[in-house]
Amino acid sequence: MYISKNINPVNTIITMQKIQFLLWVQVLQILILFSKGMKKVKKIMIFTIAVTFIVSMLFIGTSTAEVGKSAEEMYFRLVTHGGDDPFWAVVAQGMRDAAAELGCKAEIDFSGGDLAKQQKAFLEAVTSKPDGIALVINDDTVWDKPVEDAIAAGIPVIGINNDDTKGPVGNARLCYIGQSERRAGYIIATRLFQEGEAAGVDFATAHVGMAAEVPGAMYATVRSQGVKDAMAEYGITSFEMIDAGGLEATTVEERQTAYLIANPKTTFFLGAGGICTDRILSSLKAAGLKPGEVIAGGFDTAPGTVEGLKEGYITATIDQQQYLQGYLAVYTLYLYNKFGLTPNVDTGGYLIDTPEILGVIEELSGTYR
Amino acid sequence: MKKSGLSPILNYNINTPIVFVAIVLFFIIFTPNHLFIDLRNLASMGKLIPDLGIVALGVGMLMICGEFDLSIASLIPLCSYVFATFLMKGINPALALIILLPVGAALGFINGTIVVKTGLPSFIITLSTMMFWRGVVFILSRMAPISITKYIKPYPYFEKMLTGTIGRFPLQVIWFVGIAIILGILLHFTKFGNWIFATGSSKGAARAMGINTNMVKTTCYIIIGVLCAVVGTLQSVRLGSFFATQGVGFELKTIAAAVVGGTSLRGGVGSMLNIFLGILIIKIIENGLILMKVPVFGVEAFIGLAIILFVIINNFTQRQMT
Repeated sequence: MYISKNINPVNTIITMQKIQFLLWVQVLQILILFSKGMKKVKKIMIFTIAVTFIVSMLFIGTSTAEVGKSAEEMYFRLVTHGGDDPFWAVVAQGMRDAAAELGCKAEIDFSGGDLAKQQKAFLEAVTSKPDGIALVINDDTVWDKPVEDAIAAGIPVIGINNDDTKGPVGNARLCYIGQSERRAGYIIATRLFQEGEAAGVDFATAHVGMAAEVPGAMYATVRSQGVKDAMAEYGITSFEMIDAGGLEATTVEERQTAYLIANPKTTFFLGAGGICTDRILSSLKAAGLKPGEVIAGGFDTAPGTVEGLKEGYITATIDQQQYLQGYLAVYTLYLYNKFGLTPNVDTGGYLIDTPEILGVIEELSGTYR
Repeated sequence: MKKSGLSPILNYNINTPIVFVAIVLFFIIFTPNHLFIDLRNLASMGKLIPDLGIVALGVGMLMICGEFDLSIASLIPLCSYVFATFLMKGINPALALIILLPVGAALGFINGTIVVKTGLPSFIITLSTMMFWRGVVFILSRMAPISITKYIKPYPYFEKMLTGTIGRFPLQVIWFVGIAIILGILLHFTKFGNWIFATGSSKGAARAMGINTNMVKTTCYIIIGVLCAVVGTLQSVRLGSFFATQGVGFELKTIAAAVVGGTSLRGGVGSMLNIFLGILIIKIIENGLILMKVPVFGVEAFIGLAIILFVIINNFTQRQMT
């Protein structure tokens, strides 16, 4: 049990100096004790020697822990908004692999998209006094104070997967490991529009439909902003966000199919998340469309998405390499504890649109990609 | 106590068939280019509605018996995971499905036993089991999807039998209608069906008449467990994968479908035909609103309003009849 959790190496040096001072005080007191005379003073000396000895031992205990805490003694928590999504299986796999390599303990919390539940999980994580927390910062205001308070209490907090839209200015997190969502939306949309350009699409009349599992969630909003950035460059003005009805695959497919049937002028169709992208192949087929009639793409590499790429219904998908979000989260927190390092890593924007890349992805889909 | 024969189906609560016909006509007329009856749309609905519909039939029957089952939202992915596991171990898909049915029955039996032995509200018990089994699915699967396409491909007849088409006509419709007929006969033309209504109307009176109400309730839960196994298999064969998110949200949609179909939340009132139509009404409204290009965030609001409206109308009609 530690009196304090000093994670800054500078504090460790200061503590060592305090111990040295106390030891010298004890040496002086012992010298006085063995001198002749001053009986009353000697009794007081014995008492103070005992007290300073005990205090210095406590400091030594602390500093030993501060300097020598090994990976095996460390415990990290990942507090996420995920859970009901195969995407997070890969994040959890990365976390487990990193924890196994380091020998530390790491756990991941899922709130299934429920922000209130995620806030509760964060507070519980803070209470458990881990050596670091990796948090999905999926709101610009809600996490400001909790993260600030946690860091003030000596618990390092980094952002993963989602970040405050203002980055370090908007939130006190130490660093961010994840995809730049807006950039990813821009990359996938640009790729689809390039395909459209090659096919002779009239961008002035083109329509972009984007299906989102949870339309109001930050991931969907920010990715769609990236899509609109690309639309502006190509002169496309018609855009609609579709409520795919949640994470349940059948519901998503029903809604996407109905939308495609009702909107035959849809030129480009995107899935904002992994489930929507996975269901694009079935939705396009059910709507009676052939490969290339609607240029489609999205995010992540769920099995249906891989099939869609192989059959030519899906032009490209973005792999945000979420394995790294779990893996590097653990390593970053470990290295912060050790050396105070705070790297910012963009894990995403990895475009998958060729058979060669697809071959690699297919083998790893669902576990590592 | 209900009457046997066709009268409980045709005479009791005629609202649901009327509403069904009205909804269908409305969307046929008012969807742009009458897209509602476009063959692609009908085929899509026929392929996808049975995923919810098959299990909703069992949930509706259980509600007539006076109980609820929310755990279906977790039993479906659990059964799907077990099915995928069997396939990965090299078991023939048809055999895997046959083995899975008693597994589903056992899961239903657990629910039923806890409900009847504890006497606690089934809403709470099955909410707890829903959370428990969802956690089990997450732990076992680590939420990773499992592609089963390569295990099904060597058995094309199995895939065609479950999810094939005759022209554009999806065979899932036959499964859905067939199960509805079987459960309808069970509910309205057998002694066991009488016991279901009696148990739901008044458990005390049913017991006094010598009906083993615990056995009736447990059997209904077992039936739901079997239906979850069927849907879990059907869904994962059609999706080509197991997903841990299968069935999310089904627990409340099935109850809503049964209520729209005139099933009383207090038990003892309902009919299999109306439950069947209630399922179709819920899904047709969702489909029709999207075809009519209702604003994206408005679909859920309209569905909610429609459910409230139907519940009020059904309640009013039932009071008039009594």
